Amino acid sequence: MDIIEFEQIVEIGPEVNEEGAEEIYDCTGLWICPGLVDPHVHLREPGESQKETITTGTQSAAAGGFTTVCCMPNTSPPLDKPELIDYILDKAASPEAGGVFVAPVGALTVGLLNERLSDLAALKKAGIVAASDEGAPIQNAALMTRAMETCVQLDLPVMAHCEETNLSRGGSMNEGATSAMLGIRGVPRTAEEIMVMRNCLLSLHTGCHVHIMRVSTWGAVEMIRQAKYLGAPVTCEICPQYFTLTDEMVGEFDPNYKTTPPLRTQVDIDILQQALKDGTIDCICSDHSPHAGYEVHVPFEEAPFGMVGLETVVGLTLTHCTHAGILSPLETARKLSTAPAQILRLDAGSLQPGETPVAQVTIIDPDLEWTFDVSRTFSKGKNSPFHGWKMRGKAVTTICGGEIYRDPLFDDARYATFD
Amino acid sequence: MKHLLSIRHLEKPQIQELLDMGAEFKRKVLAGESTTSPNPKVFGLLFFEGSTRTRVSFEQAAHYLGHKVTNFSGTGSSMSKGETLKDTILTLRYERLEAVVMRHSASGSAQLAAQFFGSPVINAGDGQHEHPTQALGDALTIIERKGKLDGLTVAIVGDVLHSRVARSNAWLLSKMGATVRFVGPKTLMPAHSGKLPGENFYDLAAGIEGADVIMCLRLQKERMTDGLLSSTSAYSRGYQINSRTIRAARKDCIVMHPGPMNRGIELDDVTADGVHSMIQQQVENCIFVRMAAMEWVFAEEKVAAKSGGKK
Repeated sequence: MDIIEFEQIVEIGPEVNEEGAEEIYDCTGLWICPGLVDPHVHLREPGESQKETITTGTQSAAAGGFTTVCCMPNTSPPLDKPELIDYILDKAASPEAGGVFVAPVGALTVGLLNERLSDLAALKKAGIVAASDEGAPIQNAALMTRAMETCVQLDLPVMAHCEETNLSRGGSMNEGATSAMLGIRGVPRTAEEIMVMRNCLLSLHTGCHVHIMRVSTWGAVEMIRQAKYLGAPVTCEICPQYFTLTDEMVGEFDPNYKTTPPLRTQVDIDILQQALKDGTIDCICSDHSPHAGYEVHVPFEEAPFGMVGLETVVGLTLTHCTHAGILSPLETARKLSTAPAQILRLDAGSLQPGETPVAQVTIIDPDLEWTFDVSRTFSKGKNSPFHGWKMRGKAVTTICGGEIYRDPLFDDARYATFD
Repeated sequence: MKHLLSIRHLEKPQIQELLDMGAEFKRKVLAGESTTSPNPKVFGLLFFEGSTRTRVSFEQAAHYLGHKVTNFSGTGSSMSKGETLKDTILTLRYERLEAVVMRHSASGSAQLAAQFFGSPVINAGDGQHEHPTQALGDALTIIERKGKLDGLTVAIVGDVLHSRVARSNAWLLSKMGATVRFVGPKTLMPAHSGKLPGENFYDLAAGIEGADVIMCLRLQKERMTDGLLSSTSAYSRGYQINSRTIRAARKDCIVMHPGPMNRGIELDDVTADGVHSMIQQQVENCIFVRMAAMEWVFAEEKVAAKSGGKK
């Protein structure tokens, strides 16, 4: 039981004083989680509002159970100036937005051009929680070293997009038997693993906290495991598509299955799931990457990378990890909330009174069976390969200060108000 | 109504049907009999990627059948003004074209076109994926000389990795009972060939040993700039079919090339013009199988096909 008063959690425990309560939620059989945190989403503003806006993206986040999302800097222009951070925070706080916290991630280099570092100190002051080369992976190891040294000084995590672009150039799916059959240029797994290894080594030697974004291969997992063993301050994340989908599912050139890094194989899925269980993979994110319909309805090789994900993370994680016996309920909540909050040093991921600025609570019905319908999502992007998938488990109510989302599937009988 | 998008999705009886139709068209054309279709149609020839040979071949096929063609090329069209492939296809649909023959640089583009066009689509080459009518023409050529496909050993030599001709031929030949070998340098071979119906050979002599058919593939100049090969001469030293290297194959082997050929690189003059060469017959036979394809897509389904892409 928790008590939320004036947008704060004031008491938590098996027995609390309900006297004078205005609203009561009957959560029997449900999970009361600290508000979920997605460390990796693309809200697309400024510059690409045909794909998503901060308003629609945060509404999608609330509907997916998230109370905090970290938005990526590869916008147009990229998030390399404090004014752009102000712009995002203002839009996220506006009444029409979804009511969730937006934690911006700054661009490591000016314009993401990988020539010179952004003014990371000014960006930190403006409110970034990490810096990243998302969308424009830094190839030059000397530049990455300087970036990490700067971020150590500023106590900022570096979120690393690990891709050796000489190896990946021109490729649009995993290099394997399926790409060979379809005549599509493949991205070899070495393109990811080499950069994971490099960034782990730079983390070890600079002491910079490096967060490896969306791990997709068993080799990358082994690199990270080794780096952690050596004491490097490295963390990493995975998205549900990498523990549910394989390159074979690209089928007949379906652009909804085009991601970077690309979808891999069942062997990778098995090892990634084990790594989630043993803690090598710290957290789960969506890599929510909305695109306009006209951008996706093109030949596979011309389609953009990525899929929407905010409204499927909980369902897919519970269905394919929790109910599959890979994660316990507590571990599930940790991977979706506490761990990403700790990685990014956010005032989030806790139900303890006073630990978060306002109450952030996500109520999950772990056994609710539902079918994902992408046409009914809040996101502007409808590019998802999970359309029509049956799932077990859903975020049914999201509270961030006040209630910001209640699912139509959340039983009215469980909810009571008092005058 | 059906599409001809790939050989991979065809069943053996469908391939046989297309080959039989092609052989019959050839007989009629050579005998001077009429091949005019009872139902003349308007075909759009959409060549987003330049190809004179294939377009002329389809135009000739349409001419023999009495179909009308309307040409649409990538440059100077709405595509170069930023229109998406989907919108171009939808436009042509409402221009009331009754079928399209399409070449496009992206693998899978023919499937995408078929999804939106609503009438038959014939793939004339999609990226590095498939070129089904070339494979049908090649098969007709082999049958003319060898009498069959079943039981033959066919070596496909060269840039297999980037070749739609190699893929369509491998599917067709293996479905019809031939044994397919892919022969070439490791950098031009698929690293993971498990889903392609052929075995990899990196040594030319071993790859063509005992072969009934040698199919050379065109070597694109850009493979050198990509760093996949050191030079054209390095390639020809290792993989050229010439009067010396051909001795590893069967004495009565035939040599093929889908064109355009780089003389002196994939083949030497003696082999290209010699008794083994079937290169000119390939060009001619491609017309007749394209006639077959243009009739087949409008004919009633005789054999159930595997789904060729999405509905």
